[in-house]
Amino acid sequence: MNERAEYPGQRPADPRSAPTLGQKIADRDRLTGETGHYYGVRELSLREQDPLTYERFYSRLQAACMAAREVARYVAASPGGREMGEAVWALATAEGDSLALSEGFVAHSAAFPVAIRFMSDHGYETNPGFADGDVYVSDDGPTCGAPHPGDTYTYVPIVHDGELIGWACAINHIMEVGAPQAGSWPMFAIDTYMDGFLVPPTRTGENLQQYAWWNELWKRRTRAGAMNILDDKMRLAGCAMILRAVHEIIAEFGRDYYVQATREVIEESRRVVMDNIRNWMVPGTYEQAAFRICKYKGLQKIWAHADKDNVIHVHLKASLDERGRFHCDMDGSSRWGFHAFNGYPGGTSVAQMMALAGALGYNTKFTSGGNLAVTKNAPYGSVFNPDTTIAAHTNAWAQMIQISVMSFQTLNRSMFLRGYLEESFAVSAPWDSVQGDGVLADGTPYGYTNFELLGACAHGAYAYRDGDPAVWFIASQLCNMGNSEEFEYLIPPLFHLGRKLEPGACGHGKYRGGIGLSTVHMVKQPGQRFSASRAGSACAFFTENAAGMFGGYPSPGAVTAVAQGTNLPALIAAGDTPRTLNEMVGYAQDGRLEAERLEVWKSDAPEHTLHENDLWAQIAGMGGGWGDPLERDPGLVLADLESGQVPEAFATRLHGVVIVHGDGPPQVDYEATAARRRQLRGQRRLQSIPVRGWWAMHRLRVLAKEAPEPIADMWRSATSFPDYARYYRDFWQLPETFRW
Amino acid sequence: MERVSTEQLRQLVEGDLSRDDARTLLKMNPKDPERFWTYLEVLQARVAWSDRILLRLSDHLYVVAKSTGGRVVKCDCGHELGDYRANWKTECKVRVRVTDAEFNEVYYPPALAPEPGYSEIREFFCPGCYTQLAVEAVPPGYPLIFEVLPDLDRFYRDFLGRPLADEDPGWYVDHTTAKAAEWLKEW
Repeated sequence: MNERAEYPGQRPADPRSAPTLGQKIADRDRLTGETGHYYGVRELSLREQDPLTYERFYSRLQAACMAAREVARYVAASPGGREMGEAVWALATAEGDSLALSEGFVAHSAAFPVAIRFMSDHGYETNPGFADGDVYVSDDGPTCGAPHPGDTYTYVPIVHDGELIGWACAINHIMEVGAPQAGSWPMFAIDTYMDGFLVPPTRTGENLQQYAWWNELWKRRTRAGAMNILDDKMRLAGCAMILRAVHEIIAEFGRDYYVQATREVIEESRRVVMDNIRNWMVPGTYEQAAFRICKYKGLQKIWAHADKDNVIHVHLKASLDERGRFHCDMDGSSRWGFHAFNGYPGGTSVAQMMALAGALGYNTKFTSGGNLAVTKNAPYGSVFNPDTTIAAHTNAWAQMIQISVMSFQTLNRSMFLRGYLEESFAVSAPWDSVQGDGVLADGTPYGYTNFELLGACAHGAYAYRDGDPAVWFIASQLCNMGNSEEFEYLIPPLFHLGRKLEPGACGHGKYRGGIGLSTVHMVKQPGQRFSASRAGSACAFFTENAAGMFGGYPSPGAVTAVAQGTNLPALIAAGDTPRTLNEMVGYAQDGRLEAERLEVWKSDAPEHTLHENDLWAQIAGMGGGWGDPLERDPGLVLADLESGQVPEAFATRLHGVVIVHGDGPPQVDYEATAARRRQLRGQRRLQSIPVRGWWAMHRLRVLAKEAPEPIADMWRSATSFPDYARYYRDFWQLPETFRW
Repeated sequence: MERVSTEQLRQLVEGDLSRDDARTLLKMNPKDPERFWTYLEVLQARVAWSDRILLRLSDHLYVVAKSTGGRVVKCDCGHELGDYRANWKTECKVRVRVTDAEFNEVYYPPALAPEPGYSEIREFFCPGCYTQLAVEAVPPGYPLIFEVLPDLDRFYRDFLGRPLADEDPGWYVDHTTAKAAEWLKEW
């Protein structure tokens, strides 16, 4: 220790002279804002003077977070936390800036400063105060930056010699939030009072132990109290490990070294991310859009003001600001509404960082420094920044994930422009889940969510090859769909009848996206009652993203099918059961599956009461396509049909490939294929019109307001923001008085 | 520092690079800063025309500098799609899919096709070679999506350190709505 180099900025660790949390936050904001460097740190003095000590220091912090994750999720956790790693542990500064994180949901570090600032602004430092080992929990969007109440955060103050010096933090995605509609992401909530069990930052324990009443709240206010308590213990156990490690590290390195080094670590990573932006991107303005259906019309008869179908417009213009930071402007996105899909600014920041955290920061220490390289404009009143605190946000991810997708897509497009094609792919993440509740035969109630189609999406097509199935998870580095058996014990009546790739399910193009997954669940012994609903991001009602990549088709959204009153026992007896959603629909069409009712939902399937032998099927997790489908290598088309990944009739028509079936294996007829492709290009010529002519005709449709009411409503909402309204009028050359 | 060879980059552009080589490129740290210039060299060698490529916009489109002045979007077939400051889609031909049957030609299984009436699928073709350059799946009334308006002057000056000779602040101004205003006069 005595060999450590001297460093600037030393001051006595006298608790009486320690600044308040509010002062620290103000200092951080002022110094960072004035200089552009985190906390005004212009020189990485500690690193330069003694890099080995500096790196050893950081490795200790990071190891503490990793150890917390690897141990805590085996101490106690729901399957979502343990199996799928739907969690992250972190060490943050007193101001809430993360300086080390475990693997997992690293983007959630963008929410930490929101919660810490809220507690500071609302006097928590004196009432109830921050003592070493206190436990604070929150899952609330406006106050703690949670994207949705399913994301639950634990904060443990780290106090050294009377000074708040940092926070041990954890977050995981719990499986049931206690809303009127059961599950983790209820699709129906009209305001925050239907968001479920929701708490602003709250002291729930001390001395690393939760108060007894806290566990009772989980039990009384959620349907999966036991699972949620396990997750709560998991988060706290990891935080306790980080707390102890930090005290040991401070004892070894000293308080002043700790504070100065943490600031340097954050500033160092900020610089690397800024360099990455500069080295990988092309400045400019990148426009993207997505649409999210929310079908509430006729769903209920109590709240008239929520009795409408909504189409949420997610609009993003990304650019590099004057400092070279990645800026996302969401102007033109819809206003918030009486539905479950609103987000708040903290959650929006998490969404922004969800993809960028890993992509922009993979070659550095991941800290809040990366967050400092990203800025946003979430217009006040929009679905990303409601001008109220009553907006429900219990399924915010269903639309906010598009900010993640489009931010990442911007980076990928930019890297293509610069020649880094190996990094460029069509980003997509149409994940899905089934959620609900039930009462066992013995009267035991329970709630659940099956996350399997969340954590294992396909990869979109690259600029130079097809995407792969079930290999990535936009929210984490850790792709995992969990063990089938884990979810089956969690949800006693719901069993897998099939779980496999759904042929053809992707965005197509010269290179296709990875094929999506399909599951078919059957209901057995539902007990006294069993229900299920769909939770997830993009629905097939709209494609996942509005724009494909360079002539490829964007990934479709997810779909759900429900068959009730079936002849499943007969199918099982015959050994002939559907393994995917499309097979299930096909079985119904050819009469093998008899069902009293078969529904296919391109929007969120609302709550269904399910009975013995009912089937619940989904397709999700597809990848988007890349490039003109007529340029696809005929050999790849052949390979796809031979492996059963894309049906022959569909593929040969889309790609203009002629396959010959003879005595041997099928082969490509290259001469006939070339002729077929010439013919299809000729069709393009005959079936297309100049855009200027299309514009004139489409403009008349706009003037006549020819659109379904939910689309017209979307336009009224988006054009209520003046800048987008001006752009919209200018594009269609509409009179100033035009209103949708 | 590692450098990607012209041949490797050519293979990457053509889609012929092996998985192993692509993995090597993915792991490069740092990325080779000279890549852009090699990229331009590879791209220029692939086209039959001589206009200088300033930036590749997509598989087939480039912003090129005209010897007579101006910067336009050009397809590798040689067809030009106008000043790059206006969305190049305005110079394309477009086919619009609106029915379920038309959606089912490009999405499978049928359950995954978007909802007719709420979505239309716009396919943009180069009027020269009829390559499909872009796809939009949007509701009626949606303006054309301007995928990227690059700030070329800033890129060449501040990011590459080789300023363009014809720098002007006017190069980073969106001209798309001005083109729409011209169209209105025509109609």
